[in-house]
Amino acid sequence: MLSCAVPLDYDCLVTRREEVLPGVVKIFFQCEGIAATALPGQFVQIEPSPGTFPVTRRPITINSLTDDGFELLFDVIGRGTELMAVMSPGDTVRVLGPLGHGWMTDPGSKWLLIGGGLGAAGFQFLKDSVDTAAILIGASCSDRVIPLDASFVVTEDGSTGSRGLVTSLISEEHLSNADSIAVCGPVAMMEAVWKTIPEKHRHKVQISTESRMGCGWGVCDGCSIPISDGGYKKCCKEGPVFPGTDIDWKRWKEAGL
Amino acid sequence: MSFPPNIKRKFWGKLFDSPIMLASGTAGFGEELLNLNCLAGVGAVVSKAVSLKPRAGNPPPRLLETPYGLLNSIGLANPGVHHVLNHILPETSNLPCPLLINVAGESVEEFADVVSILESSNVHMGYEINVSCPNVADGGAAFGVDPEVVLRVAMGVSRVTARPFSVKLTPNGGDMVLSAKAAVEGGASAITVCNTFLGMHMDWRTGKSIIKRKVAGYTSPALLPLVVAKVWQVSNAVSVPVISSGGVSHGEDVLQLLAAGAQMVQVGTRLMRRPFAGAELMDEMKKLTGE
Ligand SMILES: Cc1cc2nc3c(=O)[nH]c(=O)nc-3n(C[C@H](O)[C@H](O)[C@H](O)COP(=O)(O)OP(=O)(O)OC[C@H]3O[C@@H](n4cnc5c(N)ncnc54)[C@H](O)[C@@H]3O)c2cc1C
Ligand SMILES: Cc1cc2nc3c(=O)[nH]c(=O)nc-3n(C[C@H](O)[C@H](O)[C@H](O)COP(=O)(O)O)c2cc1C
Ligand code: FES
Repeated sequence: MLSCAVPLDYDCLVTRREEVLPGVVKIFFQCEGIAATALPGQFVQIEPSPGTFPVTRRPITINSLTDDGFELLFDVIGRGTELMAVMSPGDTVRVLGPLGHGWMTDPGSKWLLIGGGLGAAGFQFLKDSVDTAAILIGASCSDRVIPLDASFVVTEDGSTGSRGLVTSLISEEHLSNADSIAVCGPVAMMEAVWKTIPEKHRHKVQISTESRMGCGWGVCDGCSIPISDGGYKKCCKEGPVFPGTDIDWKRWKEAGL
Repeated sequence: MSFPPNIKRKFWGKLFDSPIMLASGTAGFGEELLNLNCLAGVGAVVSKAVSLKPRAGNPPPRLLETPYGLLNSIGLANPGVHHVLNHILPETSNLPCPLLINVAGESVEEFADVVSILESSNVHMGYEINVSCPNVADGGAAFGVDPEVVLRVAMGVSRVTARPFSVKLTPNGGDMVLSAKAAVEGGASAITVCNTFLGMHMDWRTGKSIIKRKVAGYTSPALLPLVVAKVWQVSNAVSVPVISSGGVSHGEDVLQLLAAGAQMVQVGTRLMRRPFAGAELMDEMKKLTGE
């Protein structure tokens, strides 16, 4: 596993803001510290507003790096992300990062990326860093397919690609061509993908998890993900990316988010 | 007491440049924050709760943020006192400030059992006895509301340690002043006022709470006046120092609590937004008081 840089709390300048899909915003931040140290699959804890509320930050995956900073791509779903969506060029925002353990990348490894909806947001950085054999994306409709140059896209309503679920794209050929398999999306989608992948390929699978977070750096024990030995691991510190074999799907689904 | 209050404090016979303590459960054992370089301005760290046996903690989700605060249902997750003693405490010997260990128990005896096991370590300054966790079925807050039980817990701890200890009380039921007096009678060297307020979130569509134990501990900057009032009441009733816990997000909040009678002031939830809260609060206080 690659060693991680000590996260720092940066004041980052917003340099650009784009609405990439309806209700999905991409924001560019200037931050040489994070650009120099972040690894694919890591996240940041961002302050949605300068005031006292909300009392916690929001965890967002580093979507990709630029020469002098990074970008975040997020879905506007609630109060925190609504505040973030109106950030505009010239604003200065507090961002702690890079945080967590990202994708476990071995040099020379060929990757299969399987994403569900906005879950594919984290793939750009991985794709920029590794050798990708194929990218399979499933989404509910065309408004939820993020631009990524995917090899195959399906949507539930058929508005982009053919009609279907991402599991229908998973073939033995894709699986055996890959040394590593990255999965990111809603829990139910990831479990369906896990179940579709035959036992003999499962050791290659890495799962990017999400949990409600307090601190984001391992001290509050608020972000636990149920793991297969019956215990828990911290999404923010030991994850957010875990070997697929670590995940206790049943208990994780029961937990909800 | 002089006003505005002095930022430098004397507590348990020691001089502290900062009145700020990091609250139990929001700072681990301090070592993560040390790695992040976040301990500037911090007077002392209170560890997360330690119990006799390992506790996996409550099933997730363990946190639920509301528009003006945070519900937590951690359930005293910790690896148990033996693991803490052998593997975690040695790592904390390089903390730049004193460490207090927060102790949880499921029975009156268990508090003293945990403390007596921890006595073989010399890295910590003292203890905070947690008779007030709202997030567990056994023990927890049930202990703190009964002055008779508080007295027995404190007496048990006094018997096994010569180190100072604070008893952390609950605001949920009972009379905090009576429990505080009982703790002092049992030998407590400070009172922590107080643990989290019982809170709940209801999904009105389903009638369910997404937190599996349904009720949880609620923290919020908006609770500051409630904590100020409790600190004022308790500090006027007991002879030992009061450590406040709850409601702090700005330097002015710390000064208010000191003026109300707190000797030291804990900060917890604010660390989720501001891991460097110690240094920030100190700067804000110094600006306000000119100290
Ligand atoms: C490691 C990690 C990486 C993430 N990366 C991305 C990303 O790249 N793009 C993206 O769109 N979203 C991402 N998310 C989800 C994102 O954090 C939430 O959508 C966001 O916190 C919602 O905040 P809100 O205030 O708008 O929503 P509200 O529902 O109003 O939030 C209430 C509380 O619930 C928490 N919460 C709600 N949904 C989630 C969730 N799915 N995950 C974690 N906490 C949640 C919030 O942080 C807040 O504390 C990531 C989550 C994690 C844990
Ligand atoms: C995530 C979280 C975990 C906590 N864990 C503990 C604990 O293990 N033991 C304890 O005595 N108090 C615990 N508390 C309570 C805090 O120590 C503190 O008393 C409370 O949060 C009030 O302070 P605040 O308003 O500054 O957060 C916890 C609080 C939070 C938010
Ligand atoms: S969010 Fe605090 S431990 Fe993970």
